[in-house]
Amino acid sequence: RTEHPASLDSEQGRVKKTPEFPILEKQNWLIHLHYVRKDYEACKAVIKEQLQETQGLCEYAIYVQALIFRLEGHIQESLELFQTCAILSPQSADNLKQVARSLFLLGKHKAAVEVYNEAAKLNQKDWEIWHNLGVCYIYLKQFNKAQEQLHNALQLSRHDLTYIMLGKIHLLEGDLDKAIEIYKKAVEFSPENTELLTTLGLLYLQLGVYQKAFEHLGNALTYDPTNYKAILAAGSMMQTHGDFDVALTKYRVVACAVPESPPLWNNIGMCFFGKKKYVAAISCLKRANYLAPFNWKILYNLGLVHLTMQQYASAFHFLSAAINFQPKMGELYMLLAVALTNLEDVENAKRAYAEAVLLDKCNPLVNLNYAVLLYNQGEKRGALAQYQEMEKKVNLVKHSSSLEFDSEMVEMAQKLGAALQVGEALVWTKPVKDSKSKHRTCSTSKLAVFQQPLGSNQALGQAMSSAAAYRKLTTGAGGTSQLTKPPSLPLEPEPTVTASSADTTLATEASEQIREK
Amino acid sequence: MAAPASSDSDCGRTESEANSKWLDAHYDPMANIHTFSACLALADLHGDGEYKLVVGDLGPGGRQPRLKVLKGPTVLTESSLPTLPAAAATFLMEQHEPRTPALALASGPCVYVYKNLRPYFKFSLPQLPPNPLEQDLWNQAKEDQIDPLTLKEMLEGIREKADVPLSVQSLRFLQLELGEMEEFVNQHKSKAIKRQTVITTMTTLKKNLADEDAMSCLVLGTENKELLVLDPEAFTILSKMSLPSVPVFLEISGQFDVEFRLAAACRDGNIYILRRDSKRPKYCIELSAQPVGLVRVHKVLVVGSTQDSLHGFTYKGKKLWTVQMPAAILTMNLLEQCSRGLQAVMAALANGEIRIYRDKALLNVIRTPDVVTSLCFGRYGREDNTLIMTTKGGGLIIKILKRTAVFVEGGGEAGPPPAQSTKLNVPRKTRLYVDQTLREREAGTAMHRTFQTDLYLLRLRTARAYVQALESSLSPVSATAREPLKLHAVVQGLGPTFKLTLHLQNTSMARPILGLLVCFLYNEALYALPRASFKVPLLVPGLSYPLETFVESLSDKGISDIIKVLVLREGQAAPLLSAHINMPVSEGLAAA
Repeated sequence: RTEHPASLDSEQGRVKKTPEFPILEKQNWLIHLHYVRKDYEACKAVIKEQLQETQGLCEYAIYVQALIFRLEGHIQESLELFQTCAILSPQSADNLKQVARSLFLLGKHKAAVEVYNEAAKLNQKDWEIWHNLGVCYIYLKQFNKAQEQLHNALQLSRHDLTYIMLGKIHLLEGDLDKAIEIYKKAVEFSPENTELLTTLGLLYLQLGVYQKAFEHLGNALTYDPTNYKAILAAGSMMQTHGDFDVALTKYRVVACAVPESPPLWNNIGMCFFGKKKYVAAISCLKRANYLAPFNWKILYNLGLVHLTMQQYASAFHFLSAAINFQPKMGELYMLLAVALTNLEDVENAKRAYAEAVLLDKCNPLVNLNYAVLLYNQGEKRGALAQYQEMEKKVNLVKHSSSLEFDSEMVEMAQKLGAALQVGEALVWTKPVKDSKSKHRTCSTSKLAVFQQPLGSNQALGQAMSSAAAYRKLTTGAGGTSQLTKPPSLPLEPEPTVTASSADTTLATEASEQIREK
Repeated sequence: MAAPASSDSDCGRTESEANSKWLDAHYDPMANIHTFSACLALADLHGDGEYKLVVGDLGPGGRQPRLKVLKGPTVLTESSLPTLPAAAATFLMEQHEPRTPALALASGPCVYVYKNLRPYFKFSLPQLPPNPLEQDLWNQAKEDQIDPLTLKEMLEGIREKADVPLSVQSLRFLQLELGEMEEFVNQHKSKAIKRQTVITTMTTLKKNLADEDAMSCLVLGTENKELLVLDPEAFTILSKMSLPSVPVFLEISGQFDVEFRLAAACRDGNIYILRRDSKRPKYCIELSAQPVGLVRVHKVLVVGSTQDSLHGFTYKGKKLWTVQMPAAILTMNLLEQCSRGLQAVMAALANGEIRIYRDKALLNVIRTPDVVTSLCFGRYGREDNTLIMTTKGGGLIIKILKRTAVFVEGGGEAGPPPAQSTKLNVPRKTRLYVDQTLREREAGTAMHRTFQTDLYLLRLRTARAYVQALESSLSPVSATAREPLKLHAVVQGLGPTFKLTLHLQNTSMARPILGLLVCFLYNEALYALPRASFKVPLLVPGLSYPLETFVESLSDKGISDIIKVLVLREGQAAPLLSAHINMPVSEGLAAA
């Protein structure tokens, strides 16, 4: 950066015997003022002038020029200028920090770490260096080192950003409890930070600690009534409690700010569903589906609403599409089985139930519905087996959580128990309250007619592009079915880190078939 | 997104309110004043009870620094300045009557003091001590004991390690080429090396009395990270404090001789707080963004940051609150309505608003025709509560606060965001949709079955067609191991003569293909081709070979037909691949 050294010097030599050198920092204050006001054009003009006058020696001018370059996205140029600054004053940790920052932005995390380490040698007490080192290590996937550095930063000076990064590491490692611990500390330190409050609320929501989750989300909303994440999460909690109108009013705010959010329209749709406005529900869900066609949760809900509307053929399509994206969820197969039962395809329904039972670990409804179907088909033995399976699950659920059973489900189970002559075995100790989640029983007992399968199994599987997962399921006749509405999904863009590769046989099969298509 | 919308809807409301609170005294968009809040000061410079406005004007583009004194809407005096003014302040220099305040203007390394608008004193910052090693080196150079190259090496060494930075002279010397060094040394060696710093900010601090008309010291912040307190009478340095970074904004309360607290917002994004006895900062507020303004309201420090937010801090560095702004903050200042004991913060925003806050509560919003870059509030002329603003375009706006005006909280947004009352845009469903729904309910099973059957048949047919194509090499792509080929054809022209171009590509990785034939099958009654078959040259892997031939349409009845292209291997009857070309209808008449 030596603009016109020769010309200026000779000029000076001629004009005066001993020329005065301009003060290098003469206009630093002006550069800084323009910079903080984000008046970058004026800033650049002053910088240019100052650099010309000082023949590129004014370090601060170069420094700010580099900052502006970086803001404008010219990261490589900014890096070069910061390196020039580092040459002009090698003792300054700040210059090295900026060099490292530019390297970091260029994705050269290892180089950034090296430069940060050098900067740390010059200035031990700077939290920012430690913090950024930690962030670099996160990107290098060295979480232990990252934690160490971030804790160093916290010891020097506490900042929200450091807490957020630490929390992120724990989330990446899948350690929810530790993450909550960190966020709790962070909220204590900075109680008005809506991002921290929202994240903590969402973590509690994931753990099912609803009281605390609501408290934190509510706090976040007091400080920022338009916080998108917090509104969605709080709204979904209201929905689980049946406060659909309140949730809808909250969603209006989001609808204004983020009108193209799939989770938002999903939740609005499920609000309408809760209010029994099914057409509106379908409209909203379809919009959500349009915005996020690969989101299985939306497809699930669409399937559910169509089942409720007795549009079984449509429900079948949505559910099978959902299963294609999420082949490991028992409830989906159960709903599919219900749709198939109503489409008088008992053989396939049975197969779907079999998958559902295989996959599901805790929902007694799956077994109950299966049992009802089997009973209606006259397969008492199978029904009894499923009934006992259901009893096991009910006992499990009773011990582990405080969730209440739906009255309709209990009633149906008791009826079936009586029919199978095992009714007394199961005690539904929990008091049954009005159902929060809607259940629907379709007409019990349909004739068990031989329904000729429409084409062989293989054919059906191949034919249905969306239903590729059901090659093994066919044949039909009706039965009783009950469905639960899932708690309209929180659907937050949470870092779901568990892409567990544990696969049942079916999962692999299904994915193979998807590939076949 | 909601924020600007809300402020827009508010603006109608606040506009009428603003009209009721402020009187528009003066607006001159062509006043040609370009300055910062730090360079504005209001004072009774002549002791006649008529307050004047002092402006340290940078001039358009920062090229014509001038000192302007305004009385009412007109410029009273104007004088040019040697360098750009960094700050302006008025203060009382001495005890005796008449108590007319002096004017101080910080510019470069000097403070120019004016009394009665006449130059009175010029204070220059003392020279900084040069690095003794550097001094030694130059002394040696002066006596020619050292040659320029060694000098350069030694100076480099100092630059690498020393705490005291080099002088400009040495820095410039280090930049020189070998040939220029000698001359430079000869020219400059006799000169004493100098290090000079400049003033970045300036404010005043009462000397020993808290009264309105008590003597004040000037407090200067300098580029070499120091704070200096000057004696108002003798202009000697009373006290010197050092900071970890360069100060940008200063805010002081108390008296110098008794006790004071000083907050300095610095370029490293921190605010350092010092007390009378401390030579080093006592507390530090880390903003994690650059401060844009610093104002003290009672005991709260209000800081505007580049993250478009106002923060309130105590003097011990505890964060009290944060308010988010709808746009970037450009400048801030204090609004003090003495008659009602009100102190509030004014912040000028990049969207042309002035927002007035008491703590977190928005009191008032003023909309201006241009973006305001500097503002100050106080007694002007004979009017107690005057707001003076200058705009980016060089305009001057003067507004007077009505004497009846009372600021109440809730002048801004409160309660639920306005978006909450807008209706949801739920897509409507048509009658047709409802009918179809009903139909599905009635005949769902049948629909499902028909769909499944049809889909199955479709799949089956597709599969059959695919197998057939594979068997008879009907596809335009051949994937056999020996001759992987790709063919596509283009027909050009309007007719009756068309040009048919076949693009044949060898898709194998390395092997060239030799000995291929191309053969056309067509209805001879309709088309005529010069040759029905020809040999293909050697095909180099990867390249696309255009093979051209002319096709003449013989029919004048506007009929078109298919021409089949077969690619064959010499000596084999089964084609490797084939393509069906749908010929366009000839638009021209057949020749003859």
